[in-house]
Amino acid sequence: MAETNPDYVALDKEMSGKNLDNSPIELLERIRRKGRTWKDLSAEYGVDNPDPPWRINLESTCDNLAYGHNGPLNICRPVDQREEPSNKKVDAVERRWEEDQLTNELYTDVPFPERQLLALAHTMIRRGLFGERELAVQLKKVSDRLNMVDGIYQEEQISNTETG
Amino acid sequence: MSDDKHDLHSPAPMVDEVSEFEVLELAVRELAIEKGLFTKEDHNRWTEYMHTLGPAPAARLVAKAWLDPEFKKLAVNDGVKASLDVGIDWINSMPTNFGTPSDYCNLRVLEDTPKLKHVVVCTLCSCYPRPILGQSPEWYRTPNYRRRIVRWPRQVLAEFGLQLPEDIEVRVEDSNQKSRFIVLPVRPEGTEGWSEDQLAEIVTRDCLIGVAVPKPSVTANRKRPVRRAVNPYHH
Repeated sequence: MAETNPDYVALDKEMSGKNLDNSPIELLERIRRKGRTWKDLSAEYGVDNPDPPWRINLESTCDNLAYGHNGPLNICRPVDQREEPSNKKVDAVERRWEEDQLTNELYTDVPFPERQLLALAHTMIRRGLFGERELAVQLKKVSDRLNMVDGIYQEEQISNTETG
Repeated sequence: MSDDKHDLHSPAPMVDEVSEFEVLELAVRELAIEKGLFTKEDHNRWTEYMHTLGPAPAARLVAKAWLDPEFKKLAVNDGVKASLDVGIDWINSMPTNFGTPSDYCNLRVLEDTPKLKHVVVCTLCSCYPRPILGQSPEWYRTPNYRRRIVRWPRQVLAEFGLQLPEDIEVRVEDSNQKSRFIVLPVRPEGTEGWSEDQLAEIVTRDCLIGVAVPKPSVTANRKRPVRRAVNPYHH
């Protein structure tokens, strides 16, 4: 086989031209700094499972975000029921390329799959699929729902989040 | 009740706190649903399906191939058809029962010989035969593995603990949107007379990717530290 996959070279060229904004996002930085990873939690509680319980949900989210025929259920549908490819979707190969860049430049010290999750949230914010403030509000709602009384998404944190 | 008996009936340990990452996963998913990027029902169906996946069917396929020369021929010539014998229907068993994405349809089984060793990669992203092998391991996704295995396969395999003599050819297969691969390794010595169940136990995920070879005493994957790629792809 060729040493360098020509498809990767083409992808790298195309994606590099898009100038992905790799600058830190404050909300995600707070999670990166203060969030407890599965590696730490499983060690502390003596749990053997190598993956956090939410990993498959994350994989499923990534798959369901896939553009057009890469959407796992979309292509399974009868032709006349398939959704048209949408610009709002996140192409799987592009997402993985962006994850590689973000992992290398921003989330280097974060273990897997937490860094995959941060990279996905980063990609979605930078693509304008939702705003940082929207995400902050949603984090607060989820946090309250799960009774996480001492979480880091309290009102003052949301009000300090300017964009979105 | 004595302490010993108490231990026998103790529940398995569990993480008794919600992490910020768990909250983030749920928040991102709910926002995506709220924005209409996918539906909750689709997410649930796909997630349920994904929870059923793992490496056991692929290990079973290899064990059957070791025991049955006719099945081995079928596996090498038509991996999709052979998968039916281990309960994996690449065409009709997806959540909708109406076919499957094109990139899931073509499984190829790569047969090792005493003079040929296969190893699988996806240099573009992290394509992986999930229906028969489950979720890919972390190292398989890393640029470090994806870039180096095609250039220095012997060196990378040695890092996994697999030292290959020079007279064994190493062939790296690159997954893509149309084809997914698993490796059919050589049956190891010392397994004569073993049952299919016994053989399947030593066919680990790493053996099926090709970075390890089955050994009679090994039933688990080797732990591997994950390192950054230090050079861009064109170096």
